[in-house]
Amino acid sequence: MLNIFKKAAIAGALTLAAGAAMAQGYPEKPIEVIVGYSAGGGTDVMARTTMPFIEKYLGDGASIVVKNMPGASGQIGITEVAGSDPDGYTLGTFNLPGMMARTLDREAGYDRDSFTYLANVVNDPNVIVSAKGSGIESMDDLVAAAKEAPFAVTVGMSSLGGDDHFLLIKLQKMTETDFTIVPFKGSAPARTAVMGGHVAVGIFNVSEIAKFQGELNVLGVAQPERSDFAPEVPTFAEQGFDLVNGSMRGVVAPAGLPEDVAAKLRDAFEKAAQDPEFLEAMAATANPVSVVTGDEFRALTDGLYDLAEETWNTTPWN
Amino acid sequence: MYADLLHALPNVFAFANFAAVIIGVIAGIVVGAMPGLSATMAISVLVPFTFGLEPLVALGLMAGIYNGAMYGGAIPAVLLRIPGTPAAVATTFDGYPMAQKGKGGLALQVAVVSSSLGGIASAFALMLLAPPLSKVTLLFGPSEVFWVAVFGLASIIFLLGGNPVKGLISACFGVFVSVVGSDPIYGNDRFTFGQLEMLDGIHIVILLVGLYALPPVIDLLETPLKTGVNSSNLGTEPIWKALPRMKYWKTWIRGSLIGIWIGILPGAGGSMAAFMSYNEARRSSKTPDTWGEGEPEGVAAAEVANNADTASALIPALTLGIPGTAVAAVMLGGLLVHGLQPGPMLFRENPDVVFGFMWQFLFGAILLVLLGGSLATNSFARLLNLPRPLLGSVIIVLMLIGVYSIHGRMFDVYLMLGFGAIGWVMDKLKFPLPPVVLGLILGGFAEENLRLALRIGRGDPAVLFQNTTSLILVALTIAVIVGPSLKKRFLDGRKTAE
Repeated sequence: MLNIFKKAAIAGALTLAAGAAMAQGYPEKPIEVIVGYSAGGGTDVMARTTMPFIEKYLGDGASIVVKNMPGASGQIGITEVAGSDPDGYTLGTFNLPGMMARTLDREAGYDRDSFTYLANVVNDPNVIVSAKGSGIESMDDLVAAAKEAPFAVTVGMSSLGGDDHFLLIKLQKMTETDFTIVPFKGSAPARTAVMGGHVAVGIFNVSEIAKFQGELNVLGVAQPERSDFAPEVPTFAEQGFDLVNGSMRGVVAPAGLPEDVAAKLRDAFEKAAQDPEFLEAMAATANPVSVVTGDEFRALTDGLYDLAEETWNTTPWN
Repeated sequence: MYADLLHALPNVFAFANFAAVIIGVIAGIVVGAMPGLSATMAISVLVPFTFGLEPLVALGLMAGIYNGAMYGGAIPAVLLRIPGTPAAVATTFDGYPMAQKGKGGLALQVAVVSSSLGGIASAFALMLLAPPLSKVTLLFGPSEVFWVAVFGLASIIFLLGGNPVKGLISACFGVFVSVVGSDPIYGNDRFTFGQLEMLDGIHIVILLVGLYALPPVIDLLETPLKTGVNSSNLGTEPIWKALPRMKYWKTWIRGSLIGIWIGILPGAGGSMAAFMSYNEARRSSKTPDTWGEGEPEGVAAAEVANNADTASALIPALTLGIPGTAVAAVMLGGLLVHGLQPGPMLFRENPDVVFGFMWQFLFGAILLVLLGGSLATNSFARLLNLPRPLLGSVIIVLMLIGVYSIHGRMFDVYLMLGFGAIGWVMDKLKFPLPPVVLGLILGGFAEENLRLALRIGRGDPAVLFQNTTSLILVALTIAVIVGPSLKKRFLDGRKTAE
């Protein structure tokens, strides 16, 4: 027994020593960022747009390689990250609430504690939209229609167990209404179904409808302040609905990353967040930036995990 | 809008932008010609590299690859009965028999001219009619898309080839394969055996390569060693001599319209377009019996349609953000990289790049005749002179690389080999293979959209028959199923009357 403790202590000391030695020269070789989705998808574009700026702020000719490991809605990539060496040379993209929801609705090869939380980069708030001329032009219209005939109002969204779904559950609870959920495969077909009048309303993220505001009524946006992507649209809070929800994309490392390496990386994300060039590039690629690092990012994850768990326990989605 | 179109033209001729299209077309032909490598894959490999490129260089490469690959797939389809891409399956029907009769060169020339014409028609549809055609896409909700998929499946089962029962069995196998993976609504695992690799279902290229490439290779290696498959002349003559004899205007126009039409609908893509065009051309032919035995018009019908869906698949992609095909989906990613977000605003916000991209599509299609004609007949066709064991092993290596590179895992390679064994048995028992491919492509669509439609209708199947578009599709489906037997009865009746 003692032996094991001794070994662990030595191993720990060695890791710390190695860590301290490592951070000075870090990064010495290219850093790999694993993206659990295909090239050209939203998360991939976030990673590829962000990483040149992280390279810049890590300095010393740091080089970051984005590697796509698509499959199983990001599960294959993030499981790989969770199982990698915490040496700072393997990082991964992390999506919320999806990555947490997947630990509930299927057996996952990771959990909340499998990661060192570096930085959340994107926070894309939810919106509720309806087709122009559908008769639903405000939140009051929507709630009234749902109260009049429970389950008669169809709601298109990109999937079950995602941020869109959680927003609806919050709304249903808050207003004591029931809607019929129509989970499409991805947001674009759902959006088209709203435009074509095949479903009554849709729940999306603001970046997904920013370019469609001429064709859709946007009933509200689910964050405390109005979004730069749709400045005309009132928040839900302005209309008396306390709804804050969205989809987040960030970057994590495997658990046990040496503290100084983590600090160096977090620092690079914080510096990038202040770079106007970065903000411009992110806006052009439909990424609403909201950089949150370290413990705050962990707290954000915990909050979303709790929400997902509560939802799963009361209204499981499969 | 048309002023914007002209305004974008000069920039397309900038050296780098035009060179990108040329390189793209050549690369596309090569990629398309390799079994297992598809346009989707080539473009997804390309997307990360385009971050540092000028938008029109990046988009020009993609437009070129897309056009090139849709034709490139015809080369092994004609010469070896191995479709290079899913869209080239219908090209094997008459292309391969032509090659066996020593007319492989002509088949390739018909293919390249038809591909190019289809691509040109599609590019014009994209340039001139994108806004009105995107309105058509909006008409297709879940119940309509469900009927499109059913119609496609019915056509492939009942119209192609002689035995509907065997066709049905093949199609069911394809639909069964489409069920593997997480279900489209709840995400429950089905037939995944706990493998994370199976969660997204079976990739179409894995099935295609296994079913279509392995059996011919085995055949190739089974037959006694000779010098080459076809050491005699391919029957090649200069393309300008062959050109005046290609008089398939009706087929070309019909195939282009079908391709454009299928392209703007979500999901089905080039393979369904090629089948439909082939079916329709054969039905209206005066000599339908010669089809399947080396009718050049059959090659024309398939190839014109699978290129005619290329640019039109981008219409819903650019205006609504929904890609008509898998390739269009990857290209959307490529556009986003350059800050081009799909939607109605796209044409107003970035006219020079968007319209430039459309011109590149047009030039890509035109260049296809020049580049494809010479490349295919002068170099690729000579592959056939390789000794059989060498040719067979080269193809096997390409298959393995192609399948491995989809997700970068050996798991897919083993799956492919498994499908290869199934394909070989089916081939020997004369079960048709095209319904399997379409079954996989359309089965998933049919299921997903049926379930969405029923959710919208809250469980009431009446929702499937509630509007005109659905009813028209139902009528077409019935016509496809009972049409052939009615026609036969009618002909028999006439014979007895005589």
